[in-house]
Amino acid sequence: MIATIEPELATVCQRDTTLETLLQQPEGRRILSCIQCGICAGTCPYGEYMDFPPRRIISMLRRGLMEEVFQSDSMLRCVACYACMTKCPRGIRLSDVLLPLVKEQTLQRAPEMPAELQRSLQNTLRYGNPMGESSRKRANWVTTSPVPVPILAEIRRPVDVLWFVECYTSYYPRGQDNSRAVARLFNALGIDFAILGNEEKCAGDCGQLTWESGLFETLTDYNMEILRKYKFNRLVTGDTHAYNAFRIRYPMYGFNYELEHTTPFLTRHVEQLKPRLKKPLNVTVTYHDACCLGRRAGFYEEGRTLLRAIPGVKLVEMVHNRMNSLCCGGGGGGMWLDTYFKQKGMDRLSERRIKEALATGADVLAISCPYEVYRFEDALKTLPHARPMRVRDVVELLAESLED
Amino acid sequence: MRTPRPDQVRIGFYICHCGTNIAGALDVGEVVNHVAGLPGVALARDYKYLCSDPGQELIQHDIRDHGLNRIVVAACSPLMHERTFRRAVEEAGLNPFYCHMVNIREHDAWVHTDRQEATAKAKALATGAVRRVALHKPLETKKVPIHGEVLVVGGGIAGIHAALILADAGKRVYLVEREPTIGGHMARFDKTFPTLDCAACILTPKMSAVGAHPNITLWTYSEVTQVEGYVGNFNVTVTRKPRYVIEDACTGCLQCIEACIYHDARFPDEFNLGLGKRKPIHLPFPQATPPVVLIDPGTCIEFKTGKCKKTCVEACADRRAIDFQQREETRQIQVGTIIIATGFQTFDPRRIPYYGYGVFPTVYTALEVERLLNAAGPTGGEVILRNGKPPQRVGIVHCVGSRDENTNRYCSRVCCLYSLKLAHLIKEHTGAEVYNFYIDIRTPGKGMEEFYNRVAEEGMHLVRGKVADVYPDPADPANGRLMLQVEDTLMGRILKVPVDMLVLSVGLEPRADTQEVRRKFNLCCGPEGFFLERHPKLAPVSSYAEGVFLAGCCQGPKDIPDTVAQAGAAAAQALALIVRGYTEQEPNTAYVREEDCSGCKSCIPLCPYTAISLAADKQKAFINEALCKGCGVCVAACPSGSIGQNLFEDEQLLSEVEGVLTYA
Ligand SMILES: Cc1cc2nc3c(=O)[nH]c(=O)nc-3n(C[C@H](O)[C@H](O)[C@H](O)COP(=O)(O)OP(=O)(O)OC[C@H]3O[C@@H](n4cnc5c(N)ncnc54)[C@H](O)[C@@H]3O)c2cc1C
Repeated sequence: MIATIEPELATVCQRDTTLETLLQQPEGRRILSCIQCGICAGTCPYGEYMDFPPRRIISMLRRGLMEEVFQSDSMLRCVACYACMTKCPRGIRLSDVLLPLVKEQTLQRAPEMPAELQRSLQNTLRYGNPMGESSRKRANWVTTSPVPVPILAEIRRPVDVLWFVECYTSYYPRGQDNSRAVARLFNALGIDFAILGNEEKCAGDCGQLTWESGLFETLTDYNMEILRKYKFNRLVTGDTHAYNAFRIRYPMYGFNYELEHTTPFLTRHVEQLKPRLKKPLNVTVTYHDACCLGRRAGFYEEGRTLLRAIPGVKLVEMVHNRMNSLCCGGGGGGMWLDTYFKQKGMDRLSERRIKEALATGADVLAISCPYEVYRFEDALKTLPHARPMRVRDVVELLAESLED
Repeated sequence: MRTPRPDQVRIGFYICHCGTNIAGALDVGEVVNHVAGLPGVALARDYKYLCSDPGQELIQHDIRDHGLNRIVVAACSPLMHERTFRRAVEEAGLNPFYCHMVNIREHDAWVHTDRQEATAKAKALATGAVRRVALHKPLETKKVPIHGEVLVVGGGIAGIHAALILADAGKRVYLVEREPTIGGHMARFDKTFPTLDCAACILTPKMSAVGAHPNITLWTYSEVTQVEGYVGNFNVTVTRKPRYVIEDACTGCLQCIEACIYHDARFPDEFNLGLGKRKPIHLPFPQATPPVVLIDPGTCIEFKTGKCKKTCVEACADRRAIDFQQREETRQIQVGTIIIATGFQTFDPRRIPYYGYGVFPTVYTALEVERLLNAAGPTGGEVILRNGKPPQRVGIVHCVGSRDENTNRYCSRVCCLYSLKLAHLIKEHTGAEVYNFYIDIRTPGKGMEEFYNRVAEEGMHLVRGKVADVYPDPADPANGRLMLQVEDTLMGRILKVPVDMLVLSVGLEPRADTQEVRRKFNLCCGPEGFFLERHPKLAPVSSYAEGVFLAGCCQGPKDIPDTVAQAGAAAAQALALIVRGYTEQEPNTAYVREEDCSGCKSCIPLCPYTAISLAADKQKAFINEALCKGCGVCVAACPSGSIGQNLFEDEQLLSEVEGVLTYA
């Protein structure tokens, strides 16, 4: 069942669409028009490891042979990178509709869930974050911020920007670097902002993409209730997955706040920011397009615009860029499937990506999704390379260049 | 025959089954019963096919036997058969404008699924028509003479062929081509499918025939800038761009090019799509027609500095053909009919960034490869890459910018065949391994399947799958080798195919200036942007503008055989009008009730056909009937309500609306 859909999606299928009813929906008619060209399978980063890449799923669906598909774990290998959906010449919204429905059935029939994934989802349900940290420590990072980070429950007044921090950026040290940078940038721009603090819980995008719709709904209900408590003009988040969830799924639960990701948000303020970016970084940077920000939302140039605004940054491109970017492998639950993928003899997508980044000769790999710090820093540890390379979020680089 | 009193309205109502087209979707009997009871209706009938001869005769007999003086036909679109029924009514002695059609097929039967609702809608529309027709007045169609001259716009194979047919029939033809030479796309090809005859061998004789024909005025490097008037009497303004060479004086000896101060050709050559170089003074290609050189002021030293030694002028000597002072010129012509043959443009593959066109130097468009294969092309017919090496492995990707929701949804029709042609020619020239990546191979048409067979037998790799990704081969990044990632959908396996050259089979698109041309000539465009024909089956070369015909790829993608056939048809249609000598004009024109007109002139600028002027003596609006198309803009805009329109009188429209609403 599709538990949630964005308003734009609502025109192609219903909230309660299942694989049985899909073909009667407008999206189903698109699926009937599939010409079996195979571009979905060809572009899929794990296509060669799937018995049933999207093209074959469609032909099995049309012949009524889906049980066979559910018996295979092909769909577990989907990292929700949106590449198939972006390139499909029939405009079939694979990653939005068909693939999650198949993933749900696959998981329901799987003899056992991959352990790492199971644990993360349980943690998310229990503690509101996949790492199983105490929810009372969520806002602890604030004490390490060089600028004040107001918490809504404490300041008791409406704010312009509600900054939804999210899990990795709250708990993990390298994620906190990102948060500290955002705080400094907001401060420098004079933005009236505050965070939810310990009241915040994971937005649940990955719960949704791994098709744990029950888990997702628990989180949605919770977060929506908290959001309703406060007054703010817009919600801004630096986490592309939270952004994805708020953009695509939450509207079905009454979410209709103005929403922005930090990268486009800061790009809107780039002229104001530029005079404050004083420290030249003198580095060559290559930019990785995050799937949920690039392919899914169309923000390709914003990250690059910000990087170009930093003095002493030379921008170079990887072979796969913008709509053709290669996924880091963290989406759709991939973040917690590394062990599983390894057992299955699959290479790590983050390593594939790092090889391209290294080939550019850049000093810095710039990113705009908090998952990627871990994925790419890990990959750099396992891949031998001669020239050192750093992984930095765009906001970190901006903050680095910011005058004190 | 009973003669009814002239003021007594006796309406005959006829509803057509159109086989099951209408009768299958609504209850014709019920409509007949309903209409039979309406005031003024003397008789109501249904019939299987009213457009058939017996159907028309039925109406004609009824007019005589029952003294009918108004006829309503509820059937298909008036675009299809209004003429048929008006003629039938006229033959029976009634004024043809006492006949009115109701469209219950396209507007009702075909677009509704609920039988009851569809029947109700038919009744409402019929009631409206019955009310309206009672108020119709007798009108007369006017005959307008047709000028015998024809304007052909675009000198590709379509325009060339149409022009020659008309000129051979003794008609004066103005052929206006935007580029410095005629020939269009075909002039760029090496060989043509399915027979593989050399494009130049079959095209250039026709090009020179155009250049030499006494009945053809050829204006290249020119464009139509304004069109006024109407079928039979178009006033056309053509702008001729300066080529800085006097056409009549240039003999095509090319000594000026030889003598140019630039020793080597060093500027990207447009005709070769930038793959070769030319000098500022140049001829697009050896068989260019007219064989007249031109100077590109953007690169010519004389234009840039005024200080060139002008060695070209020296070489031209007393032919004195070079004229740096040449200016743009305009020509006015009057023609009776127009043929639009502006062709297509190829899809710009930069719009699909993942194929790497413009990023990787070994990615080419099919049109570029045509130039590489052409003996008169930039490499003298050798297929060599930008790095100077011949390719050993070549991939050809079909459907680039075709059959794709993200770019163009339609099939470009010729790419499968030209891809097979290129595969054959590349293999012939280089011996390379050639891969064709296709979604479906589409080779309908005479000799086409046989050609596909022949190429397949030559040992091409035919892989069914759309290439998904292109990136430098990690094993050999230095030599520009590319890796193509694709699912072989018949094997269900992801392939990674290394190639030295990637050819993109780009689709055919409407030209970038299509909308401008559409407005200029009052044409319509279909959803994909090509010019729309009057009827897809029965009027494939007529446009929605009377007297303007379509030929070739400007109407939709097609191959040369179909283009030539369509050009012949367009020429024949133009000729048919000329030979008849006149056209009939719908009398649905607007007219001014002078007593009410205040001469405020608000209607004048609104008229899209410049049919209204102010009669100087009376200071009243004057509508030129011959120019009026009956669009009704002035009628609606007139502040004093002093403009009326035949067939669309206020009372007629209001009664029709009332009729529709009273039923509902
Ligand atoms: C790569 C490729 C290979 C092909 N190979 C084959 C083949 O082997 N065999 C085959 O049968 N078909 C082939 N085709 C199809 C073939 O090109 C077309 O059928 C044919 O060129 C159509 O001719 P046309 O005159 O309609 O259009 P064009 O060839 O496009 O000619 C139109 C002419 O009008 C001019 N023009 C445009 N706009 C204006 C304007 N506003 N005012 C004045 N002039 C204007 C243009 O400059 C041009 O000269 C191929 C197509 C491609 C893309």
